[in-house]
Amino acid sequence: MSPAVLAVVVLGLYPLLFILAAAFSDSTLGRPFRDWVGLENVETVLADADVVASFARTVLYAAAVSVASVVLGVVIALALERATRSGSVVRTVLLLPLITPPVVVGTLWKLVFNPGGGLLDTALRAGGADAASVAPLSSSAWALPAVGLADVWQWTPLVVILVYAALLTQDPSVREAASLDGAHGVRLFGHITWPAIAGTVAAVLLIRLVIALKVFDLVFVMTSGGPGQATTTTSYLIYQVALKEFDIGRASAITLLFAVIVTVVVLPVAALARRLSHA
Amino acid sequence: MTPTPARGARRRRISAAVASTTVAALALVACAPAAGDAGTGDDGDFAGQTLNALLITSHEGAANWLKERFEAETGATVELTIVPYDEIGSTLALDQQSGANTIDVAAPWYVSIGDLAAGGSIQDLTDWIESTPSLQTDDFIPSIYDPYTLVDGRRYGLPFDGDTHVLFYNKAILERNGITEPPTTWEEYLEDVETITANESANGVYGAAIFGQKSPLILGAAFANRLAGFGGSFVDESGRPTINSPEAVAAAQALVDVNDVAYPTPAETDFGVGNGAWYDGKVGFIENWTDLGVGSETNPDSTVAGTWGVTTLPVGDDNTRSRASLVAGFTWVIAANTEKTELAKAFIEFATSSEVNSALIVADPQTGIDPNRQSSLESAAYGEKYPELQRVNRATLSGSLAWPTGENASQAAQILTDELAKLLAGEGGTAQETLDRVQAEWEKILG
Repeated sequence: MSPAVLAVVVLGLYPLLFILAAAFSDSTLGRPFRDWVGLENVETVLADADVVASFARTVLYAAAVSVASVVLGVVIALALERATRSGSVVRTVLLLPLITPPVVVGTLWKLVFNPGGGLLDTALRAGGADAASVAPLSSSAWALPAVGLADVWQWTPLVVILVYAALLTQDPSVREAASLDGAHGVRLFGHITWPAIAGTVAAVLLIRLVIALKVFDLVFVMTSGGPGQATTTTSYLIYQVALKEFDIGRASAITLLFAVIVTVVVLPVAALARRLSHA
Repeated sequence: MTPTPARGARRRRISAAVASTTVAALALVACAPAAGDAGTGDDGDFAGQTLNALLITSHEGAANWLKERFEAETGATVELTIVPYDEIGSTLALDQQSGANTIDVAAPWYVSIGDLAAGGSIQDLTDWIESTPSLQTDDFIPSIYDPYTLVDGRRYGLPFDGDTHVLFYNKAILERNGITEPPTTWEEYLEDVETITANESANGVYGAAIFGQKSPLILGAAFANRLAGFGGSFVDESGRPTINSPEAVAAAQALVDVNDVAYPTPAETDFGVGNGAWYDGKVGFIENWTDLGVGSETNPDSTVAGTWGVTTLPVGDDNTRSRASLVAGFTWVIAANTEKTELAKAFIEFATSSEVNSALIVADPQTGIDPNRQSSLESAAYGEKYPELQRVNRATLSGSLAWPTGENASQAAQILTDELAKLLAGEGGTAQETLDRVQAEWEKILG
């Protein structure tokens, strides 16, 4: 067996077959594949409103934080390029969130949002506001955006680095020529810069989307999926069903369905990235 | 020091086990050069052997205490693996199912033993327990012993940490707010909490810390305390779910009622946050394990030493008898695939003995262990050092409320927790609707 085939089997085929077999069987953490149950697990999962809601929640979350990261990342990369001579310190500082372990990021932002003396609470109290009720991680409406903020903070530097690298590959003479022809600001960006980096930006959006769809660590540390089900993303739900409820069969069924959803969401973005890269 | 009868018997058993191990080891040595840690030495009963024990973070102090003493007593080496409290069951199951088999003994949440047994992750210890009088099982607190060990008539472990909640109160905060007596009913409790929060929240002091983080051991505990107080139960005597009974609905509603006036915010309050607020003198009440009293006196961060009181959990509606809920509680089990069963048995016999439990519940620094034996509960040292804790434990441990423990009990606990979390977040409809959904799910998985 060639190394390539071996890699495909070990990294892709075996896990896929395991999940498939578990999804269609009565499998617990201690005893996988106890009994063949056909579509029972899939039917149970689809009938569970919390699971279906987690699919929608995760996709919306991923779309929102990905777009936010990419927009913010492109803006910062453009600013960095302009300040390239004095920006080495800034570039290094910008990398900090990226090299910080996700658990530390989650803990840090949990402390920021802590209603009992966190940064937000302290700032609001210092400003004279009644901060007693400001607890984003306990609010069904604000908990997911608060997790998303931490997510954007953590991953935007990745976008910055990749887009900044793309900007550096631009031929400066093209931009100079455009400037001499009177192109500035938005016009210069739209006609010269954007076509040069669009493929990279689309590829970064794809990467960012995939990372966001898998979000688990921030949810685990910051909210445990709460309040209620407000931040229960699908990855967290799979963890809960598999490792807290010991139900590997149901967890595998959720994984399988989520894989289908991820594929449906990601394919158009992948196609866009391919098209822009070849444009 | 003259050994007590229990310790003497245990030593005899350890010696017998050592003799057997020695014979087996000699036989192996005769056949081939031996390697690894299965041999015995001259300087101790299990010298040269290594036992791998899995415990939760809250028990790290107790784990180190046990390691030190057991190693000194037997010559064995104890390697500790410490994991978060809600991951110990899955860690053990994965270790055994994967074939890694790195764990010999573990102290998981008692609710998970049915699932661990069904998954083939732990050993059935019935025969050993029945044939080993030195275990003195009659001495275990009756309301703890069966729930912590029994699944479908078979015993899979021995109780380690009693873990029942009582109600602690900060005397100074109550006094400042004109509250002269701790509450005896959940209605009085709510009034007191509302009073304190209204008067002092501007200064960061609240009526109560409510464990509301979405975990069976946290939010589930807060609910179980009220369920016990209102006289309800999780299942009836035949094991059929009764989680939407009027008592259970009243318990859930009591939790909702206190949610808005508790230390901000219940959804973010886990053990660390809640205990921190208590030690900091920021809350009037906290439901907690009895060892919080030990920590209140000995924890370096505690500002409430000498200013706290403790009482039994309040009651509600028609129920007038306070009883404990076995909200957490941990049981020593032996991993199914361990090759060191005799050493593991010797260890858990040591760790669950009356002498050890008596020592752990008064140890300084705090070990996080509560009484699991009648003799340790009634010990002179416990009564002398923590008379109030002894009194409330004695008063409530009779007929205490236990979670279901059979197969799927872990899932049942998670379903209840998820629905309660939704109820507190305003997503679950009324308390009755919430518990009706839980009842329907429980009937499918618990029968």
